[in-house]
Amino acid sequence: MLVAALLVFGFGLSGVGGVVAYFLPAITAALNITGHATQGGTGKHPVATPSTSPVTSSSQPITVLLLGSDNDTKFEADAVLTQTMILVRINPQTKSVVMFSIPRDLWVEIGDTQSYAKIDAAYSDGGAAEAITTVQNNFHVAINYWVWIGLGGLVHVVNDLHGVNIVAQMPILDDEYPYDLSGNNPYEQARVAILPGPQRVAGVAALEYVRSRHGDVLSDIARSQKQQQLLLDIKASANDVGLADVPNIASSLGDSMKTDMSVTQVTSLLPLAKALGNGDVHQVVMVGEPYFGSDYYPEGVGGPDALQPNWSAIHGLVAQYFPTA
Amino acid sequence: MRRVIPTVAVMALMAVFGFAIYSMLGTLKSNRHNSQKPTQTKALIDLPGTIYVVQDGSIYSLTNLTFTELKAPSYDWVQVAPGPDGDILAVAYSSMYSNVYLLSPQGQIVRQLLSESSTQYFNNHWAYYPRVSPNGSTLFYASDWVDPDSAYNVDFQIQAVPFSNTATYPVIWSESGLYYQGGDVEPIPLANGALIYTKYDISDQPNTPQQGDTYGQLAYVSTPGAVPTLLTTPAEDCGEPALSPNGTEIAMVCTQNTAQTTTLDVASWNGTSLGTLVPIASGPLPASPTWSPNGKSVLYLNTLLTDKSSPFQLWWVPKATSKKPGTPEQVTAGVNFTATSAPIWTA
Repeated sequence: MLVAALLVFGFGLSGVGGVVAYFLPAITAALNITGHATQGGTGKHPVATPSTSPVTSSSQPITVLLLGSDNDTKFEADAVLTQTMILVRINPQTKSVVMFSIPRDLWVEIGDTQSYAKIDAAYSDGGAAEAITTVQNNFHVAINYWVWIGLGGLVHVVNDLHGVNIVAQMPILDDEYPYDLSGNNPYEQARVAILPGPQRVAGVAALEYVRSRHGDVLSDIARSQKQQQLLLDIKASANDVGLADVPNIASSLGDSMKTDMSVTQVTSLLPLAKALGNGDVHQVVMVGEPYFGSDYYPEGVGGPDALQPNWSAIHGLVAQYFPTA
Repeated sequence: MRRVIPTVAVMALMAVFGFAIYSMLGTLKSNRHNSQKPTQTKALIDLPGTIYVVQDGSIYSLTNLTFTELKAPSYDWVQVAPGPDGDILAVAYSSMYSNVYLLSPQGQIVRQLLSESSTQYFNNHWAYYPRVSPNGSTLFYASDWVDPDSAYNVDFQIQAVPFSNTATYPVIWSESGLYYQGGDVEPIPLANGALIYTKYDISDQPNTPQQGDTYGQLAYVSTPGAVPTLLTTPAEDCGEPALSPNGTEIAMVCTQNTAQTTTLDVASWNGTSLGTLVPIASGPLPASPTWSPNGKSVLYLNTLLTDKSSPFQLWWVPKATSKKPGTPEQVTAGVNFTATSAPIWTA
C-alpha cells in the first residue's frame, strides 16, 4: 500500500516537474513583466510616487496607458522616447474597448515640471510615472495602469504568431527608415517598401509598417492609425494561441514589456480580449484641425516639428470616450 | 542490492515520465498558422491550364493538382506576370532595391529587364508590378521617385521603357501627387495604348472618407503625363485591378474604407468608363485577382473564410450568371502564398 502511494506520489511529482519546467519561462517572464512599480526612470525628473488611479471593482471600466518605444542603443535603458502612446479604455460591462492615440509630437507640459516638450519625452524624462502624470494632467483622464512595450519585443511576438495579416492602406516607401534593431550603428538607415493591399507580414515587416512615417504626409498621425490596426491584427492572430504557446511568447517578450498590472489582473482581462470582435473596438485618432494647429510648426513653439494642441477640442473628444462618471 | 535496482529503475521511469509530460506539452502548441511548401501539398480542385504563384520568395507552377517549384536562381522572387511567348516577368527584391527579370516557364533567366541597384544609397530604386503592353513593345512598372528637395518624400510612379531596350531612360506615365501619398502602382497597359493604374491619395476632406484616410482609386490615362480620369471613388478604396482577357471587365479589390476587410469586385469596362462594382467574393481579405484564360472565372488569394488571421490560400470563383451566383471555392490548403503577388493563369 505504502509502495503504491509512493509510486503515485513520485510519478505525480515528476509530472508536475515536467509541467513546471515547461512553463518556467512563462512564469519567469510573467514575474519580470508584471507588477512593476510606477516610478521614474533615469531621466531629469524621476518620479517615485505611484500616480495611477485604483480600480475598485471588477466591472469598473479601466484605462491603460500603452507606451511603445525604440529599445535600441540610441538611448539609455529606461530613458527612451515613447513613439507610441495609446490610451486604451476597457469596459467589462459593455465588453467594448476604445483605443485613443496620442500624437508623439504633441507640445505639452511634461509632468508637473512647468517645462514644455513633445509628449514623447515624458517617459524618457521621468519614467512611467511622469508619462502618466503628463497624460493625466493634459488630457484630463484618469489612468489605472500602464504597459510599456519595446519595439523589438513586437517583432518577436509577431514571429511567434507565424505572422499577422494586415491591409496596407497605401504603398509605404521610406528611404530613411531607422535601421537600429540590428547591426552596430543605431543611426544607420534602411530603405523600406511595403506594397499596398492585404498581405501577411512577419515581425520585422510588421514593425516597419507601424514605425515608418517619412513617406506619409500625415507622418506620426498615420503611424498611430497603423499601430491601432496592427494591435487588432495581432489580437486576431493571438486568438489562436493556446496555453502551450505561452512560454515561447513570454520568452520572446523578455525585457521588451513592463506593466504595473499584476499577473492576476492581466489574466482577468484575457477572456474579454478573446471575446472582443472588431466591432467592439472603437479606434480614435485625432487628425488635423480642430485638434491641432493648422500644421506642424517647422520651428515649433520652442521645438522642431511640434504639434500645437487645441485643448478645448481635445478635451471634448476625451470626455466623449473617457467619461468620468 | 535487491531493492536498489528496482528503485533506480522506478526513479528513471519517473524522470522519463516528467520529460514526457514536458515534451507532450510542446506538441500542444498551436500550429494552425504553420504553413507548408506548396510542393508538399495538392490542390483541392483541378483547374485547367497552368497557374504560377509565389510563396516565401520562390515561384511555383500548379498543373493537374500538383505544384512544382521553378528552378529560378536563389533570389527572393515576387510579383510574377505574363511575359511574351509564355515567358514570365518576375521581381527579385533585396533589402535595398528590386530588379525585374524575364524568366522561362521553368524559371531560367532569359534576361534581366531592369537593374535598380547602386553603390550610392539614394540611387537604389524599387521596381514592382511589371506588365508588358498587349503588343509586346513596352514594359510598364512602378518605380519610386524621390523629391530632390526632401528625401522623406518618396512615392511610386508608373514608368515605361521599350521592351526591346529596357536600359533606355523611362517615360513617366503617371506623376504621382509627389506629396507623400504613396503614389501610383499596378499598371495595366491597354490595347489602345492607354493605361489603367491604381492611384493612392490621402483625404483632406472632413467627410467620407474621413480626413486623413488613405485610399486607392483606379485611374485612366490615354497618354504619358495626362491628367488621369478617376474610375472609382475614394469611399470605394479600390486597387489591384485585373483586366479580363476580352478587355470588357475589370476585377479589383476594394475596402470600402474599412481597414480590416476587403471585397473582390467586378465592374464592366467600355474603354473609357467603369460600370457599377459588383462584389463576387466578400471577406475576409480577398487579394490580387487574376482572370481565367477564358474570362469566365477569377482566381485570387484569400485567408480561410472562418479565420481572418490565417495564411493566404488560392481561391477561385466563377462569374455569376443569370441562372447561378458564383460561389468561391478554396483551391489550396496549408500554404502561405504571397498576397501582394497576383497569380498568373495560362491556358
